[in-house]
Amino acid sequence: MTTLMQVVWIIALPIIALLISVLFLGLFRKVTARIQRRYGPPIYQPVIDLVKLFTQRSNISHGLIFDAGLIIAVAGSLATVLLIPAGGIHPLSSSGDLLLIIYLMLIPPMGIALSAGASGNPNASLGVSRKLILALGYEVPYLLVLLTVMTYGETTSLLSVVQMQAGSILSWGVFRFPLAALATFLVLPVMLGIRPFDIVGAPQEIASGPQVEFGGKYLALATVEHALHLFIVIALFVDLFLGGAANLGTFFLKMLAVFLIGVFIGAVYPRFRIDQALKYCWKWPTLFALSGLILVMIIGG
Amino acid sequence: MILELLLIIILVAPLFGLFIGWGRPWVRGMYSLLVALFPLVTLATLYGRTIAVQYAHLPFVGIDLSLRLTPLSWFFGIAVAAIGLFALVYSFSYMKDQKRLDLYYFLFLLVNAGILGVVLSGDLFTFYILWEIMSIATFLSISFRGGKALPAGLKYIVFSVVGSSAMLIAIVSLYVSFGMVDIVALATALSGATVGYAIFILVMFSLAFGIKNGLLPLHPWLPDAYTESPTPFTVVLGGMLTRLGVYGFLVVMYGMIGLPLVQRMSFGPVNYGIILAWIAGITILFGVFVAVFHDDAKRILAWSSIGHGGYMILGLALAGSLTLAGGIFHALNYAMSVSLLFLAVGAVEYRTGTCDLTQLGGLCTRMPVTFIASLIAVFGMIGVPLTSGFVSKWLLYKGLILDGHPFLAFIALVGTWGTVLYGYKVVHNVFLGQVPEQYKEVKEVSWTMRAPMIVLSSLIVLFGVLPGMPLKAVSAIQTHLGVTPLDTRLFGVPKALGELNTLNIFFAVLAAGLVGYGVFSLARRSKRVSQYDNYAAGARVPVGQYQHSVKFYDQADRLIRPYLRDRIDDFYAWIAGVSTGFFEQLRKIYTGNVNTYATWIVLFVAVLIFMGLLGWKP
Amino acid sequence: MDRADIKKALKDPHKWGEKYSLWVTYFCTGCGIIEIPPVITSRWDAERFGVIPMATPRQANLFLITGYVSVKTLGYIVTTYDQMPDPKYAVAFGSCPIDGGLYYTSYNTINHLDRYIPIDGWIAGCMPRPEAIFIAVTKLWKMIDGEMVDGYKRYKENIEYYRKNQERVLGKEFIESIPGSVAVTA
Repeated sequence: MTTLMQVVWIIALPIIALLISVLFLGLFRKVTARIQRRYGPPIYQPVIDLVKLFTQRSNISHGLIFDAGLIIAVAGSLATVLLIPAGGIHPLSSSGDLLLIIYLMLIPPMGIALSAGASGNPNASLGVSRKLILALGYEVPYLLVLLTVMTYGETTSLLSVVQMQAGSILSWGVFRFPLAALATFLVLPVMLGIRPFDIVGAPQEIASGPQVEFGGKYLALATVEHALHLFIVIALFVDLFLGGAANLGTFFLKMLAVFLIGVFIGAVYPRFRIDQALKYCWKWPTLFALSGLILVMIIGG
Repeated sequence: MILELLLIIILVAPLFGLFIGWGRPWVRGMYSLLVALFPLVTLATLYGRTIAVQYAHLPFVGIDLSLRLTPLSWFFGIAVAAIGLFALVYSFSYMKDQKRLDLYYFLFLLVNAGILGVVLSGDLFTFYILWEIMSIATFLSISFRGGKALPAGLKYIVFSVVGSSAMLIAIVSLYVSFGMVDIVALATALSGATVGYAIFILVMFSLAFGIKNGLLPLHPWLPDAYTESPTPFTVVLGGMLTRLGVYGFLVVMYGMIGLPLVQRMSFGPVNYGIILAWIAGITILFGVFVAVFHDDAKRILAWSSIGHGGYMILGLALAGSLTLAGGIFHALNYAMSVSLLFLAVGAVEYRTGTCDLTQLGGLCTRMPVTFIASLIAVFGMIGVPLTSGFVSKWLLYKGLILDGHPFLAFIALVGTWGTVLYGYKVVHNVFLGQVPEQYKEVKEVSWTMRAPMIVLSSLIVLFGVLPGMPLKAVSAIQTHLGVTPLDTRLFGVPKALGELNTLNIFFAVLAAGLVGYGVFSLARRSKRVSQYDNYAAGARVPVGQYQHSVKFYDQADRLIRPYLRDRIDDFYAWIAGVSTGFFEQLRKIYTGNVNTYATWIVLFVAVLIFMGLLGWKP
Repeated sequence: MDRADIKKALKDPHKWGEKYSLWVTYFCTGCGIIEIPPVITSRWDAERFGVIPMATPRQANLFLITGYVSVKTLGYIVTTYDQMPDPKYAVAFGSCPIDGGLYYTSYNTINHLDRYIPIDGWIAGCMPRPEAIFIAVTKLWKMIDGEMVDGYKRYKENIEYYRKNQERVLGKEFIESIPGSVAVTA
C-alpha cells in the first residue's frame, strides 16, 4: 500500500480498534445481564463510564511511576494493534512478525505492574503476582500453539499465516491444525480475563487487584488498555484460526462470534483459584497443544 | 607488536599497582583507571583489523606461542574491557571504606588482564596459561570478603581446576598427535582426524567451557560465587567471565574443529550439536525457574546467569546463521543487562546494607537513577522490544523455528516468561511497594556509581533501536568462523530473512506514548497522595508493617518448587562428603610413628619380592 | 431518563457521565445492607441505571450508608469518604443515620451522621424497600442536573467543623493518623 494510505491506516486503525473493543465491553455487560434474566445497561454504557472517568474533577496519583506505568501500558497496546492484520489492513506488518507481537504484548502488563507496584498497596502487589502467574499459565499452551502454526506455515510472519488460509473455508486454521485451535479455545477465557479466570481483578478477593488505587483518568486508561488487550487477543485468534478476513466488516463479524462464545462461558462460571487456574492451563490445553505440535512435525505441514 | 605490548602492560601493571597505592588512595585509583582505559582505547582503534603475531618460541618442546586478533577476539575483548572499566569506576565508591584495597585492585585488574589474554591468544598453550591466571585471580577475588566467601571460592576453584585439567588433557593430546598447538594450524590438521578423536577433544573442551559457563550439571559453583563475591567483581564475573565459556565453544567447535567435522559427529539424527542444544535447553528451564523462587537479589541474578548462559550455548550449538548470530549477540546483551542489574543491586546494597528482598521496598523515589537503570536492565533481560535483548532473542527464536526445532524454541520462549517473573520480583521488591521505616532516608549513590549505570542503560536502548551497529561485528565473526553471515541494516533485518524494523517500532511506540500522554494531560491534574493514604478496607495502613514481597509467587511456588530441588548440587555434596571420608581414612597411613613407617616399607619390599618370585617383571 | 439525549450529553458531557454512571462503594454498614444484594442482582437490576458496586472507594462516586453507624464504623466511613475522589455523593439509607432511628439512646451509635460527613440525600424507613434506592438515584440525577448536590464542596469548605465533630467521637489519634491533617484540639 502507498505511504499515504499507510499513514491514514496507522491513524485510523487504533481508533477503529478502540471503538470495536469498547463496543465489546458494553456487549459483555449486556449479554451477561440478559443471560442472568435481567435488562442490563445499554450497549454504550462503557462510553458513559469512560466519559465520566476522563472528566472527573479530581484524580489521585501516587507518584511519577504511577502515571508513567499506565502511559507505557497504553502505548504498548496501541503499538501492538498496528501490527496485527485486521481484515486486509496491515499498515506496519512489514516491520514485525508474530514474535514481535508476542513480545510487544509483554509491555502493557509490565506497565500496569509498574503502576500497581508504585501505588504501594498490598492488594495491588497481590493482583500483579496473580497476573504474572496466570500469564505463565496460559503462555505455556499458547506458545506451543503459536509454534505449531509457525512450523506448519514455515514462517513467522502473521501476514503469511493469514494469506495461507485464503481460499476456501476448509483452508482455515481451525481445520488445518485443529488440536492447536482447540487448545487456544480452551485458554481463550484465561487470556481475556473472563470468568472463571477473572482472578486478577477479583473485586471480592483483592479489591480489584492492580487497579485498587486507580481512579478517574487512571482507571479510564486502564479500561482502554484492557479493551485493546481484548481486541488484540481476539484478533490474533481470528487471524490464526479463522482465516483473517478480506475486509473490516467480515473481520468484525468473526471477532464478534468468538467474543460472544467467550461471554457465554463467562456468564455462567464462578471464579477459580490461581493454583486451580494454573493446573487447568497446564493440563488439557498443554496436552492438546503438544500433540498438535508433534502431529504437525510428523506430518510435515 | 601492539598486541604483545597490550598484553605485557595489562599483565604487569597490576603488580605495580600493588605498590603505587601505598598511602595515597587517589593515586591508586587514577593508576587503575588508566590501566583499565588502556585496553579499551587500544582495542577501539584496532577495529576491523586482523593481526597475528608470534611472540615466543619454546625450543624444548618446539612450539611457537602467538597472539591473534580476530573479529571474535575483538568482540569479546572490547566487551570485557568496557565492562571492566565500568566496574572499576563503580568500585571507587563501592569499596571506598573496605580493607586490603591494594589486593582488591590488583586482583581485579589481573582478572581483566587474564580474560583479555585468553581472547587474544592464538595458540592453546597461551590460552591455558592465561586461563589459569584468570581462574586463580577469580578464586582470590571471590573469597575476598572472607567468612562465607571462603567455601564459595573453594567450590569455584575445585570446579575450575577440574575443567582446566580436562582442557590440559585435550591440549596435551593434540600436541602429542599433531606436534603443534597453534589454533589455526590445528584447524587444518584436525580436518583429517577421525571422528572419534574429534569427539574426545570436543568433550574435554566442552567440560572446561561448560563449567565456566554454568551449564547444567556443571553449575553448582555459580550461585555461591556470585552471592559472596564483592559486587563490582560480580559484575565482571557475571558479565564476562562466564561468557568465556561461549568464547571457548566458538573457538574450539567452529574455529578449531570446524563445522563440517562437528556435523559428522552423529549417530543417525542425533549429533553433538543437538545434544549440546538440549543440555542448554534444560539449563535455561532450570536456571530461570529456580531464580523465580529465591529471595536474595544476587542469588536470583546468579541463577538467571545460569539460565541465560543456556540461551547462548543453544544459539551456537545449532549452526544456523540466525541462531549463531542470536547466540553471540545475546552474550553481549546479557552481559550488559546483568552487569547493569548487578550495579543497581550493588548500589542498593551500598546504601541499605542488604540484598534481602524481603527487607527492602519502595526505593524508587529515593534512588531514581538506580531504579530506571534496573528497569532497563530487567527489560533487556526479558527482551522487551526496543532493548537489545529483544533483537538477539528474536534472532534465536526465528532461527530455531525456521530450522525446525520448535521444542527448543518453546523452551527458549518459556524461559522468557520465567525471566519476566523474577525480573519483576526484583524490581518490585526493591523499588516499588512501601518504603520501610529504616530506609526512608537513603539517598541516591554518587556519580562514580551512577555514571556506569547511565552509560550501560543508554547502550542497551541504543542497541535495541539501532541493532545494526553490533550486528555488523557479529556478522564479521560469522564470516570468520565460516558460517553464512547475517545481512543487516542499521535498524533491523531486511525482508529476505524476515521482518524486523526496530526504528519503525520505536517511532510507533513513541507516537503511541505521546498520544497516551496527551490524553492523560487533557484530563484534570492529579493530586499527589502519600503512600499511607491507601485503600485498606477503611482502616489505616499500619506504618512499617506491610511487606508485600515475602512469598511473592506463593501459589506457583507450591506447584513448581518440588521439581526444582537442586539434586545436582546435593549429588556433588555427597561426592565431596564421601571423598572427604575416604581421604580422611587414607590419611591415617601417616601415623607419625617411625615404627609404622618401617613396617610399611618392609611390607612393600616383601610384596615386591613375592611378585618377583611369581615372575612379574616391571 | 434522558440518557440517549445526545444533544444534552454533548452540552455537558461531565454531568451526563456522572449521572448515568454512578458507581457505589461496596461498603456494608449495618442492617440495611441486606437490601442491597437484591438491588444489584437480577431481581431489581441496578446495572440498567448504570449503578454497579465497586470494591474500592477510589473508583466510586456514590456512598450508601445503609443502617446504623456505630462509633467504630464511623472511623471507617470517614476514611472511605476521604478516599473517594470528587465529585462524590453520600446517601443515608434508613432511619438510623438521619436521627438515630431504633438506637437513638445507644451509647455506641451515632445519631446524626450529617455532622460527621456531608449527606446529600436521606431515605427514611426501617428498612426502606429496594425500590427506594431507585427513587433516590433518579432524584439524585435531577439534583445533579440542577446542581443542588454539593456535599463534597461543603465538606472541603467546612472541613474544620467536620474534623472537630469527628475528633470528639473518634479521638485525637484518629485525626492525626489521617495523612495531611492536624488535630483541631491541642
